[in-house]
Amino acid sequence: MSIRVGVDIGGTFTDFCVYDDATGVMQTFKTFSTPTTPGAEVMNGVAELERRFGHPPADISYFTHGTTVGVNTVIQRRGAALALFTTREFEDVLVVARLKTPDPYDLFSERPAPLAPRERVYGLSERTLKDGSIETPVDAADVARAVAQAKAAGAETIVVALLHAYANPANERAARDAILAAAPEMTVTLSSDVWPVIREYERTVTATVAGYVQQQVAHYIASLQQALKDAGVQAEPMITKSNGGVMTAELGKTAPIATLLSGTASGVIGAADVAARIGAADVLSFDVGGTSADVAVINGGAPAFGVGEMVGEFPIYVPTVSVTSIGEGGGSIAWVDDFGVLKVGPESAGSTPGPACYGRGGTRPTITDAFAVLGLLGAGELGYGAVSLDKAAAERAVLTLSAPLGLSVQATAESIIRVSISGMYLEISKLMSRHGADPRGFSLLAFGGAGPMTACLLARDLGLAQVIVPPTPGVLSAYGGLIADIRNDFIRTAFVDLDVAGLKALDGYAVDLEAQALHWLRQEQGFQGEARLVWTADMRYRGQSYEIETLVNRADIASGALAPLGAAFHREHERVYDHADPDAPVQIVNLRLVVSGSVPKPEFTESPAASGPPSPLGEAEVYLDGQTRTAQIFARADLAPGHSFSGMAIITQDDCTTIVPPGQRVRVDGWGNLLIEAEG
Amino acid sequence: MAIDKVTLEILKNHTRAAAESMAFTLYRTAHSTFVKETEDFTTGLVTPDGETFATPTELGATWFVNLNYGRAIKMIEDYEPGDICMTNDPYSGFVCTHSPDMHIWKPIFYEGEIVAFSVGHIHNTDVGGAVPASLSRTLTEVYQEGIRIPPAKIMQEGELNKQVLDIFLANVRAPDQNWGDLKAQIAACNTGERKVLEMIERFGIDIFREGMDDLLDYAEAQARRIISDLPDGRYPFADFMDEDAVGGWPCRLMLALIIEGDSLVFDFTGSDPQLESSLNMPTGGDERHTLLMTGLTYVLYSLDPSLYLNAGIARVCRCILPSGTIMNPVFPAAVGMRTLSCSRLQGLIIGAFAPAAPDRLAGAPASGGPIMNVNTIDNRTGRRIMAAINPMTGGGGGRAVADGMDGSGANQGFLKNTPVEVNEVEAGIKVLRYGLAQNSAGPGQHRGGLGTEMVFQAFSPNTKVTARNRDRTRFTGWGIAEGLAGGASKFLLNPGTNQEVNLGNTDILTMGPGDILHVSSGGAGGWGDPFKRDPAAVLLDVQRGWATLDHARETYGVVIIDGAVDLAATETERAARACAPAEGFYDLGPERTAFEKVWTDANYEALTEQLAMLPVHWRYYAKHRIFAAIDAMPADARTGDGSDVRQVFDAIVEEFPELRAAAAGL
Repeated sequence: MSIRVGVDIGGTFTDFCVYDDATGVMQTFKTFSTPTTPGAEVMNGVAELERRFGHPPADISYFTHGTTVGVNTVIQRRGAALALFTTREFEDVLVVARLKTPDPYDLFSERPAPLAPRERVYGLSERTLKDGSIETPVDAADVARAVAQAKAAGAETIVVALLHAYANPANERAARDAILAAAPEMTVTLSSDVWPVIREYERTVTATVAGYVQQQVAHYIASLQQALKDAGVQAEPMITKSNGGVMTAELGKTAPIATLLSGTASGVIGAADVAARIGAADVLSFDVGGTSADVAVINGGAPAFGVGEMVGEFPIYVPTVSVTSIGEGGGSIAWVDDFGVLKVGPESAGSTPGPACYGRGGTRPTITDAFAVLGLLGAGELGYGAVSLDKAAAERAVLTLSAPLGLSVQATAESIIRVSISGMYLEISKLMSRHGADPRGFSLLAFGGAGPMTACLLARDLGLAQVIVPPTPGVLSAYGGLIADIRNDFIRTAFVDLDVAGLKALDGYAVDLEAQALHWLRQEQGFQGEARLVWTADMRYRGQSYEIETLVNRADIASGALAPLGAAFHREHERVYDHADPDAPVQIVNLRLVVSGSVPKPEFTESPAASGPPSPLGEAEVYLDGQTRTAQIFARADLAPGHSFSGMAIITQDDCTTIVPPGQRVRVDGWGNLLIEAEG
Repeated sequence: MAIDKVTLEILKNHTRAAAESMAFTLYRTAHSTFVKETEDFTTGLVTPDGETFATPTELGATWFVNLNYGRAIKMIEDYEPGDICMTNDPYSGFVCTHSPDMHIWKPIFYEGEIVAFSVGHIHNTDVGGAVPASLSRTLTEVYQEGIRIPPAKIMQEGELNKQVLDIFLANVRAPDQNWGDLKAQIAACNTGERKVLEMIERFGIDIFREGMDDLLDYAEAQARRIISDLPDGRYPFADFMDEDAVGGWPCRLMLALIIEGDSLVFDFTGSDPQLESSLNMPTGGDERHTLLMTGLTYVLYSLDPSLYLNAGIARVCRCILPSGTIMNPVFPAAVGMRTLSCSRLQGLIIGAFAPAAPDRLAGAPASGGPIMNVNTIDNRTGRRIMAAINPMTGGGGGRAVADGMDGSGANQGFLKNTPVEVNEVEAGIKVLRYGLAQNSAGPGQHRGGLGTEMVFQAFSPNTKVTARNRDRTRFTGWGIAEGLAGGASKFLLNPGTNQEVNLGNTDILTMGPGDILHVSSGGAGGWGDPFKRDPAAVLLDVQRGWATLDHARETYGVVIIDGAVDLAATETERAARACAPAEGFYDLGPERTAFEKVWTDANYEALTEQLAMLPVHWRYYAKHRIFAAIDAMPADARTGDGSDVRQVFDAIVEEFPELRAAAAGL
């Protein structure tokens, strides 16, 4: 007996995805999250695994886990007391940042206070020049003085981020040696270790976030390792990463920065996998929980990666699956402003007290309450029976807005939903325009507790081609972690022209990167399978201040083949910006290498089509598009491949509800996905 | 309002989606790096009358919320579906505000009628004229600022008007860039048109039409509510630019803010005559011109960030704009560098509102730092390098609840810097320091934000540095409510050596190999009595390297010994030096205070009155003559009551017979 387990921790629930290698069956379940004792929910789940499915811990052959400890450490500002060592005369790097304020229309808009407060920033007398040569070496006595001051000021971790350390990390390493000589107990984080990329603010802020979460994440992972071991789990746990991959927990302890945005990344990986199986190339993944809707663009089958993705208030520059978070979820609160205009969010009832209909003390109307009032929710169980639905409470809450709007309670509820959908419409329109994508060619892959509830309404407004609801939409992030490959990113800032000399330098960097990457995969991850290497270069026309990551061929770098490398960039520039300038000189700013090793994945087979229509559980009276309608209610478990029916329909399952408005038709495909399109 | 309040919110989100999608389309497809770096562009939707009802807030410049295309729209006689019009003439229709800004507008037809226009502009890197980039303070006529296209159809019923395009491109230095950017603008307008037609299909034409007006009414109603909370009154305030031309006299911007119930009047009488440099603001006498309304939008939005941003805001205000002044120049006055004067104007408006809401508004935003470019030769490759380096910004003013944001903020919050590492790799310079300028903050119970400063070294002979918008080396950013003015901006060549040169407000210089340049922005103004500042906050500034021990003691009366506040000594120090609260609401800084002892309000009133009698093209000349004459008077001979000014004026009229009729005629 051997099972593989993926675990994802959310605000309310912790999701488990379990795949049985022998039977090929995948099963899912949830436990309550235990935010005050991180890790306990995992152990509860491991116990549950045995209770529900009879799998003792020893059966677990592979275990992946996404942790939110790092991101919560930043959001709640309870990380290590940091000191920052910079090059002297550049101590204000985090305060000045890139200057721009979050809301430039607001005279009082402020950049967030840095994680390393300015009074614990110490300038070192040292200097590396732009070509990597050391003009002034680090002076150990100078460092020791700074260490003494930092310790006196209460620093627990020292982050070192020196000018041009991406070109030559020698001074940062010398500073670390000097720090440890002066204070062997100190935790030290180097910007050149975390992510050695040009642009001092970006490198420094990334390093401070890394230093800030280091101890908490390492401590969490260590206790998890121990607890799993104690429980009898033999497999070394794997930790999910923001880049959509996994790494060993052991490595996670030293590279926690890579884990910070893994929760949303895993969801996108799961979505991409579902989409790939059914041949949907262009997909918006749409993960809606209680407080936000996380949207990612999967274009041509590949998730988009971003730089400067936000962890709390801070951008980090390690490669991260790009996710746009819209501040609207099932718990978003509706209200009426002083001019009588209906608004939804950004305030959210979250998971506590939650929507009024959850009966946990919430009194203000939320999006979920609006759905409950309309009869669209409540036909099945919610959250695995953990929450019961109090429709009367929802009506009381929604009714508070009926008077100011002059509408019936049902019209008020529907208005809340329409306004909420229009807010998502706005944000997704922006996202599509940023990518230059046409919504009509995209599918919306809905998951999370509230995704399938709103997806069809949103897709209708956006003019999307279809909605896809996977079989287990509530646990797609856990599934994404389970199937993620072992993966890591490497970068070398090159800053060379695309010419013969430039490529010669680039080839040298490539040799270094390849050695680093293979060492990581073979030695540090102990992976012996096939190593997959993907080379990209951040390229631009001379004079541009921004780069485009372009897929390149390693052999072209080695052979000095200028033409194909240039052509690749011109093509990519054309794709991203709709134009290219084949005669303009090209620069290569960074060379990147992604190394990955494939892990075994669940194998699914397409089931043959069922015969006959599905039998509904019953009917319910609902209100949608301004009138009362009769909806057919289906249990998701009763739907089989080949089944097909039209809205108005409601499909219930353990952890979510799919709403199919009139004029749309559902088809169940061979893998059990719901495919929903406009009729005719 | 006509449509229901639920549909209004939904329509609002859809119109914003249109404007934001237009902005992303333009930003994504624009060719010039300048657009990507500075986001100096707009997109939006306007009513058939030209009022902006939808504007992006995520991307683009912050100055064009209240832009009105009405006069430009009317300059084209007939519109057909598929037409797109453009103009970059600051004197045709007064939608364009300097020649690099190419504005375009496309009529959106529904069932044969124009229901809206999709619009937008891009700041072109160059549109020809006397100097590269088309902008220089020294230019005196708009003719020198590049080719001007009066409103013309660049697309006619969907066909490109190649003649207009060719004339435009034949007159600019980098035509590929202009053409590439124009294509991006056209793509953005087409996106806007498509989105509007989708909205009409979804909501119906009647709701769309009424909704446009309702969205304008909604912003107006919000703006009026914010103003109603402010006490009625007349709030006069003036601010200055150090120079009205290279090496010139101070340039005064004067505003009497009048709050009456939920409406405003901005009376700019008393502002300087139009300049013979390019700092004029081409408003065409439009009493709600967006350049005049930007400061208002900042103030109202900052008082209540739920304010919906569109041209409904401007409806609450009316400007009085005497013709032939810097706020309402007469053709062909140059306008290219209106960026500096507009920025000062925004500060002026913020300052005029401050006494009406002293606990909700802030001291002067920092300014005076330049936008800088370096043009040098790479010693290794021999290649000529031209690179934009940092904009030197400063922070926001102190206010009742907090210190000002350091380094950048307030009305400069939209700018981005260039990383030190990139400057060194690309611009052929070595940066010796980049950070906050010590002691630059305007002192206060809550101090103003610090300015930024940069020190760098050049390595090649004949390294040219341009530093646009230099100012505030003399007249600094005012403090309010007993807070003090911020520090001056600085521009020093080889500081601390025997070759040190104070470059003042110079905006072009040549560096040699080894030369070191120090440049900094001024600091923002403070709020409240500096002696009431929490000593711990003063100590923190010292620990952070942002204030010296001397500054702490002299300005704040805080005594710091061995890294700790000596509370007893601080109390004694503060008690011993306590003095009566400063007169007036503003602290204007020593230089301006001294200047206004000579150039009193009475003198300025006399000057305004007298110059208004002269033909426009004489005013600037007469101003300079009068300033020179007053300057030459012995201090004890000056009366400051306006009579000196009248005497000098009379002498000038006497000297030039052709002025007598004009002077006598009034």
